[in-house]
Amino acid sequence: MTITPTTSDTDLLRRMRAGDAQAFAALYRRHQGPLYRFALLRSGSADTAADTVQEAFMGLLSGRLAFDPLRGALPHFLFGVARLLILKQEAARRREPPLPEPDEDDSELACDEACPLARVLAIEAAEEVRRALSRLAPHYRDAVILYELHDLSYGEIATICAIDIGTVRSRLARGRVALAKALRAHALDTP
Amino acid sequence: MHHDDTPDLDHQLAQLRSGMAGIDTPHCVEKELMQAFAAQFAQRQPWYRRLGLLEWSAAGIGGLVTVAVLGLLLVSPHLANRLHESNALVRIDNGGAFIALDSFERIDAEPAPRLVETEVPRTMLAALGLPVTPENAGDAVRAEMLVGAGGEPLALRLSSLSFN
Repeated sequence: MTITPTTSDTDLLRRMRAGDAQAFAALYRRHQGPLYRFALLRSGSADTAADTVQEAFMGLLSGRLAFDPLRGALPHFLFGVARLLILKQEAARRREPPLPEPDEDDSELACDEACPLARVLAIEAAEEVRRALSRLAPHYRDAVILYELHDLSYGEIATICAIDIGTVRSRLARGRVALAKALRAHALDTP
Repeated sequence: MHHDDTPDLDHQLAQLRSGMAGIDTPHCVEKELMQAFAAQFAQRQPWYRRLGLLEWSAAGIGGLVTVAVLGLLLVSPHLANRLHESNALVRIDNGGAFIALDSFERIDAEPAPRLVETEVPRTMLAALGLPVTPENAGDAVRAEMLVGAGGEPLALRLSSLSFN
């Protein structure tokens, strides 16, 4: 049985569980991009983002993460898993003693040396937005990234972040205002 | 969603979206996941799906040998019985010999067997499997022949049979 772009995630998952390596590869290739970009913006670290994607798919593969198609789409489930993994890592990082601060001003959420984001985002404006986004409070960041960059609805974001729609709406509004303010401040500081 | 309060923000976010469009997970992640997949399903597969051609060939040969050995073990008792039965046709004890000229069932079933005394040349007994030496080849052996009602010979008892 061939795999086409229209083959459903549920079908691919069923075949993956039956040992079909091609189905697993297709499932991964279909969802890794958005998931990685979300994790990258959310964590600000390419290594963390790659680990997050790997762990999410490992959980799916091993059955440790129980995806229920009746409770939502697979991409949203994966976004939720990635978000929780990043939150867990951030919590662990907060418990550890902080490393010496680098000299740069924007070290609040450092990007790895080999961060593909830093290389790819040559456009200065996009890089400014990313930096401003990385300074947002995590709960605002979730809403802004998922809504503005992944075109998810309030309902979908509410499911992913396990909050109600009203909270999504308010977090998004406040996140956008904070982001705009940070960008304006940066524009004023720039000669 | 319309954002009158942040008119530039939508444009800036669009730039960020565009800049990130081509970013994918490093290839090593897919490689590691596929290795994990292969390892996991190698363990999950039943034993007969994990065997390769070589293992299957060895198992087939082993199976054939086992069947052959079992077959021999099952068949050999019958062979032994048959040999035993054929040996029983000529029984030698205490210098005498009993030679069944027909099956034991036929002899048992004979309603009126008769015993006839006679003498048979030793050379004739050689054809029945009794030892004959050049020294006694010309002798005759005293015998009692069991014959059926129709006169057909059923068995032969040889007395004072000497193998020397």
